[in-house]
Amino acid sequence: MNGDRAVTDVERAPTRSAPTWRSPLIVAGATIVLGLTLAAVLAPVLAPYDPTAVAGPSLQAPSARHLLGTNDVGQDILSQLVWGTRVSLSVALLAPLLAVVLGVLVGVGAGLVGGMVDRVVTRVLDVLLAVPVLPLLIVVAALVRSGRTVAILAIGLLGWPRLARVVRSQTLTLRRRGFVASAHGFGGGPLYVIRRHLGPALGPLIALRFVDLASVSIFLESGLAFLGLGDPHAVSWGNMLNRALGRQGLYYSPLWAWWVLPAGLAISVAILGFALLLVGLEPVFNPRWRRSR
Amino acid sequence: MVGTDSAASLQCRHVTTTGPAPASFGGPADPSDLPEEVLPVRDLGSRTRPGRRSWPAVVVSSAMTVLLLVTLNFLLPRAMPGGPVEAQLSLGTSNPVEVDTRQRLEEYYGLDRSLPAQYWSYLGDLARGDLGLSIRHNVPVTELLLARLPWTVLLVGSAMAVAALVGLIAGIHSGWRRGSLADQGLLAGFMAVSSIPPFFLGSVAVFLFAVKLDWFPLAGARTTFAASSGPLAQVLDVAYHLVLPAAVLALTFLLTLYLVMRSTMVGELGSDYLLLGRAKGLLERRLKYRYAARNALLPVVTELALLLGVAVPIAIFVEEVFAYPGLGRLLAESAFARDYPTMQGCFLLLSLLVVVLNLVADLVNARLDPRVRG
Repeated sequence: MNGDRAVTDVERAPTRSAPTWRSPLIVAGATIVLGLTLAAVLAPVLAPYDPTAVAGPSLQAPSARHLLGTNDVGQDILSQLVWGTRVSLSVALLAPLLAVVLGVLVGVGAGLVGGMVDRVVTRVLDVLLAVPVLPLLIVVAALVRSGRTVAILAIGLLGWPRLARVVRSQTLTLRRRGFVASAHGFGGGPLYVIRRHLGPALGPLIALRFVDLASVSIFLESGLAFLGLGDPHAVSWGNMLNRALGRQGLYYSPLWAWWVLPAGLAISVAILGFALLLVGLEPVFNPRWRRSR
Repeated sequence: MVGTDSAASLQCRHVTTTGPAPASFGGPADPSDLPEEVLPVRDLGSRTRPGRRSWPAVVVSSAMTVLLLVTLNFLLPRAMPGGPVEAQLSLGTSNPVEVDTRQRLEEYYGLDRSLPAQYWSYLGDLARGDLGLSIRHNVPVTELLLARLPWTVLLVGSAMAVAALVGLIAGIHSGWRRGSLADQGLLAGFMAVSSIPPFFLGSVAVFLFAVKLDWFPLAGARTTFAASSGPLAQVLDVAYHLVLPAAVLALTFLLTLYLVMRSTMVGELGSDYLLLGRAKGLLERRLKYRYAARNALLPVVTELALLLGVAVPIAIFVEEVFAYPGLGRLLAESAFARDYPTMQGCFLLLSLLVVVLNLVADLVNARLDPRVRG
């Protein structure tokens, strides 16, 4: 096998330079996410109109007064677009947070306790992981019929098992490592081990899962709203799509370009931002990646 | 000569290149072992990553999931505020409902009995294939589901075929010429496309190809009065309606297939058998397709089976955009219209489909992968 490796290294294409924080992927992703955050925070300043108020005649084409025109009830579409950032970003922040808290608690718990508890948790996780998320979300959204809180809770609750499994297996391997055993030997309690050893080792892994879940959450929230199962009173990108696409003859009017397109692009760009961050951060955080590429 | 050669290298491959590297990222069933986990893959079908579980464990686990889904399907409507009767009563009536009516409805649906008794009769109904009556369509839900199922199977199946073909070919090229301009272009392109949610991508496709260019129909699965034409014309009509939805669905998970193919292909690059092949003077093309690509195919086969389980839920969005008469659209419609019996039937069938597909993926993986086979 060793000879095999040596040949391999000679044959390989020149390896890329060591990954850094300044990779174009991270810069692009961070720019998008920061831009969206700014838009969300500054929404009252940036938006020219109140997104829920009737700001002009309905279905106006883009003009100097309404840069993206108005929708069917005369609301300013640009203002809705800007305010919609708040919904998507708050879901992207809170749903993964819930999933991470649950996933880390269960994962680290099972990994540290081990034995019977760990075996049971692993079985339960296997069962939960096989539950299809989207159909269940649709059913819950249809039954509950209320706003964003439910979407956040549901997405968060459905997202944690995968995280728990990754955290658990990582905890398990860390626990067997020498430095953890020696910390135990010198009288370090479980809290000390978690703070000094598990935390730093699990941090990057959890951060990556968080970013991943953020883009999934944006996708799911806007998808539910697109299906007409979101909070009907919220000003969100998914609701804009739902309202626009539900209109008869939409495709044969010029409406599509300024009503559907901006909302759809906003969702895509938000998802892309987190996806770029994820791909860029992976090599920085994951030492194995550095070695194998 | 060549036969034994590639057989030996196939054996070797599992030891050298796909064996998860350092101990820190090892551990059984560690999902971060696999290359595509590195990139965003939508967690919709909740893929059970085929770890190294034996097949009885996988079957038992899937059976538990089915039991969980069946129980959730029973409990969720009863746990929600209002309950099923309230939901039915609020449909179409604005008058306050008399206590008497409510009682009779509850009696009719058996909601006055104890929860375990209700559960037992619910299981009995399920076993008989009785999913109740659709409120909107006033026909048995089972009938509705059976009419919709073939369309979803057709849509998901053809999308998967397209995605497999394009993803594999692109992945082979990218992996073979890793780091080249074409590789980076393909990677960036697929990543950008896969960030577009299918409900928007579908709308863009309709706008461009059905409205502006007028190449394909706007929506639906066939022309309304097509039944009067000949069988060949009907098949063509269905295929014609299928192109856009299948392409959009395929695009949403092309990235995953492409990445798996690409990274396993990269894993083959330095192999001894390729060096030997080169030394023997084999053609580049032969080395690429007959040697490297063939050896890199195993993880892709498993991924294909897994992706089927992801594609079924995503199809809900695609069917909704194109008004395609599949199960997903029925689920979305009935959820929106509060036709709870239909919604629950759809949910049950769709999620069972996903569980079964994941189970098949696990079993296929167990059959193909020597590490799992033991």
